[in-house]
Amino acid sequence: MQVERRCEQCGQLIPWGEQECPMCSENGRFLWSMRRNTLLLLSFLVLIILFVITTFAVKAYRAKERALARQWYVSGERELTAGHAEAALEDFRSALVYSPNDSLVELELAHALAAAGHLPEAHAYLLGLWEREPGDGKVNLELARLAANSGSVPEAVQYYHDAIYGQWNDDPAKHRRRGGLELAEFLLSVGQKAQAQAELIALTADLPSDPARETQVATLLLKTGEYEHAAPLFRQALRLRPNYTPALEGAGEASFEMRNYRDARRYLARAKRAGALSVHSQSLLETATLILESDPLAPRLSGQERAERALRAFTQSTERLSGCAAARGVSFENGPQQSDLQKVNALALALRPKVRERDLARDPDLLLKVTDMVFEIEKVTEHTCGEPQGVDLALLLLSRVQEGGNE
Amino acid sequence: MSPLSSLPAASQTQGSWISRTGRVLEEMRRRLRFGNGEWTLGEQQVFLLLAVVIGLFSRLAVVLFRITIEYTRLMLLGSGLVIARWRALLVPSAAGLGVALLVMKLFPRARGSGVNQTKAAVYIYDGFVPFRTVIGKFVTCALAIGSGQSLGPEDPSLQMGAGIASALGRRMRFSRDKVRLIAPVGAAAGLAAAFNAPIAAVLFVIEEVIGKWTAGVLGAIVLSAVSSVVVARWFLGDQSLFRIPIYHLIHPAELFAYAALGVIGGISSLVFVKLVGYARPRLMALPRWTHYFQPALAGLAIGVIGIWFPQVMGAGYQYIDQAMHDQFPWRMLLLLGAFKIMATTLSFVSGTPGGMFAPTLFIGAMIGGAVGGVERHFFPWLTGSVGAYALVGMGTFFAGFLRVPMTSVFMVLEVSGNYSIILPVMISNTIAYLISRQYQRTPLFDLLSRQDGVDLPSMEERREEHALLVEDAMQPCQDPILSSQDSVTDALSRLEGTTGEFFFVDDGRGKWYGITKHMLRQAAAEGKGGVVVGSVLRGPPLPHAHPDHALDVALRRVGDVPFLPVVHRADLTKLEGIVSLEGILKAYREAH
Repeated sequence: MQVERRCEQCGQLIPWGEQECPMCSENGRFLWSMRRNTLLLLSFLVLIILFVITTFAVKAYRAKERALARQWYVSGERELTAGHAEAALEDFRSALVYSPNDSLVELELAHALAAAGHLPEAHAYLLGLWEREPGDGKVNLELARLAANSGSVPEAVQYYHDAIYGQWNDDPAKHRRRGGLELAEFLLSVGQKAQAQAELIALTADLPSDPARETQVATLLLKTGEYEHAAPLFRQALRLRPNYTPALEGAGEASFEMRNYRDARRYLARAKRAGALSVHSQSLLETATLILESDPLAPRLSGQERAERALRAFTQSTERLSGCAAARGVSFENGPQQSDLQKVNALALALRPKVRERDLARDPDLLLKVTDMVFEIEKVTEHTCGEPQGVDLALLLLSRVQEGGNE
Repeated sequence: MSPLSSLPAASQTQGSWISRTGRVLEEMRRRLRFGNGEWTLGEQQVFLLLAVVIGLFSRLAVVLFRITIEYTRLMLLGSGLVIARWRALLVPSAAGLGVALLVMKLFPRARGSGVNQTKAAVYIYDGFVPFRTVIGKFVTCALAIGSGQSLGPEDPSLQMGAGIASALGRRMRFSRDKVRLIAPVGAAAGLAAAFNAPIAAVLFVIEEVIGKWTAGVLGAIVLSAVSSVVVARWFLGDQSLFRIPIYHLIHPAELFAYAALGVIGGISSLVFVKLVGYARPRLMALPRWTHYFQPALAGLAIGVIGIWFPQVMGAGYQYIDQAMHDQFPWRMLLLLGAFKIMATTLSFVSGTPGGMFAPTLFIGAMIGGAVGGVERHFFPWLTGSVGAYALVGMGTFFAGFLRVPMTSVFMVLEVSGNYSIILPVMISNTIAYLISRQYQRTPLFDLLSRQDGVDLPSMEERREEHALLVEDAMQPCQDPILSSQDSVTDALSRLEGTTGEFFFVDDGRGKWYGITKHMLRQAAAEGKGGVVVGSVLRGPPLPHAHPDHALDVALRRVGDVPFLPVVHRADLTKLEGIVSLEGILKAYREAH
């Protein structure tokens, strides 16, 4: 920018780059012959034309932007599905350049950020979205997942709740269920069983008639120890799909935990017939069978049968007692008998001479006494040597049933 | 002779449809009785109406300008954020060569940002901005910015607005004063269109181009800026340039972090100004043939940076947005800020046409975000959103670099739509501004104009000029003050022993008159010794001044009167002192 010469006619400076004085030379041009108001009208006319041109240009550009946003979004989705989170990031960012306020793209970008391990950035992004739409279910769910991943339990629970009770554009009930299930699973994973139970019980209120969904919720309830709520859900699922193995297994486990070993064996046996059992269910089935076959106090047994079971149980439990004592280095020889094992051994030794099959069949009191002794031995040995296996476990569980009955 | 007869044949053919259009419009005007009789508009009314038209034209031009930049970018650099290596190296340098050719051969006045050119139009060329410059600015800036040169579209938009306004104003045959004022009106419209922020645009034009608030032009500037933004919202909706993060002050101690941001922003803006101020004259002084290659070499250097940091290429709004949404770790933000300073310096000093606003905002956002990131790292309990730091950082760097403190504050407020951010913005901007002013006496735009050999008025210097007041030239009144109710004889006796000739007469109602000894003696000689002084007074009351009046007010009022009474504002009968022409001139002399 340099100052140059002056116009000889009007004395004004002629701007640099101009051949002649613009003020004086323009006076001879056509537009200068028009009246001011005519020019004003002409300006409006030109304005309208320019407006039309600009509208077309803007529309064309907007269409181009939409196409590019779509193109980059699809590319990002593809990359994300293929596990290339970093590449997906750039694609979603490019998509956002052309569609800056598209929450779908923003959410996917947050997904990609989290998948690529950029957790603070993902969190910041989602927080930005949350600030714009604090009630949005999707955003809250994503924030909840991030909080869950970083181990912030209260924050995660808060976001999960906001997601469950937040706004969902399509099928809100489904999203709320999913959110609730996810929250319950998260709570279980961090050992907050009571809170998980509450969430699951709340979920059962509006659960649709879907065996898979019902079984899913009931299985989680099992994990929380809520067998009473889980069992009817399994049964409901089995009414709709009688041979649904997960529901049969679940119903079997729920019945087992509620000490209803007959139903447990029935469901688990059906599950076995319907398909392969899990190792856990197989073990439950075996234990339930042993319980039902070892219980001397089971109804509808003949006296002889009861006596045989009581005798077998006594023999089994005293063997367990000896094994446990040996394992713990406890001696049953003469001397001060102070430990639980020694005390219960002394009682068992005192009872042993009376434990004969014929007497047991004839004397129900003796049978009860022997059975109590067996249960006492199993409890003491469990306390000292840990949970037993096989028949001993069956007898221990029977002792708990009896204990529950006595209570 | 018809004005058309002097034009060549081609112009005649072109002129035929123009003249037909002209006749149709004349007929429309006649039938509407517009401009004929009672509907005729005066110059001031046309000026205001034209301000609206200018706003609309500017906005449409700026929309087309922005779309052209985007299409250019798509064509040259591709649609992705990651730029292919060959493109990053080839495109800015090749486009730089093209831009240099256009500037050197066709549009010499398109060089630079556009702000000083607009100021020059106002202060030197009576508001003249050639329309060819508007076209040149449009083409060269679209090519430069679209090809990845580190420059922005706002200052060129400002110049384009001024050019459109100048063209319309001249065609309307406004008086010289009005034509001179019309360029800032267009500048405000252009800037408002580019920023989608009318208040910031109006303030910038007042702060940097006009330098003072005058009612005559303020209305037109506001009208043009508002009409420009209305059209902008018609086309683009009311979205601001960026998605703004929500700001909450977490803890009052967080303000210290914003103060630190002010210090860092001030220092970095200082570095930026010094770099530009050092490199530009040296490159300009190189032989003319090198000017053809300077933008290309700058483009190549920017391309090299762009291979690793593609964010520094172009205006970079999308990255400002990402910084505001905490998408970069603080180290990356710091690097981006530093490389953007380098890239913008290269682009600007090489003579590539393009603006400094967008890079300024970019650098500010990155530095702000980095400060926020560091604070979050060390004091997580004190930090709100890092995005808020990026937002405040933009204003801070703007205040430090461009030295427009008011605009910087209002720009952030307007862009964020959040009043609660004002406290950190004011703290940070003020600190940055003061640091920049302390260590760089001449503001950037003044520095650039002086490098160009043009002494444009410095708005900052003008704002800070010490205005001389009446009190600076005022003297105590030593002579007795007469009352209009005194008799002539009493008055003469009171004046005995005084050496002066001229005395003040107080009428007791706040009006002051002047009288001479000669007049009193003459009245006494005519036998009017017993009459009151008020009855022998001649002429209207004297004009008066107040101590806080500007001295030039007293200068204008003093006229032929030997002394001007300086009276108290709350009590006009109380004489505070007197000023004389000699005293006023002495005060002016001493001030220099």
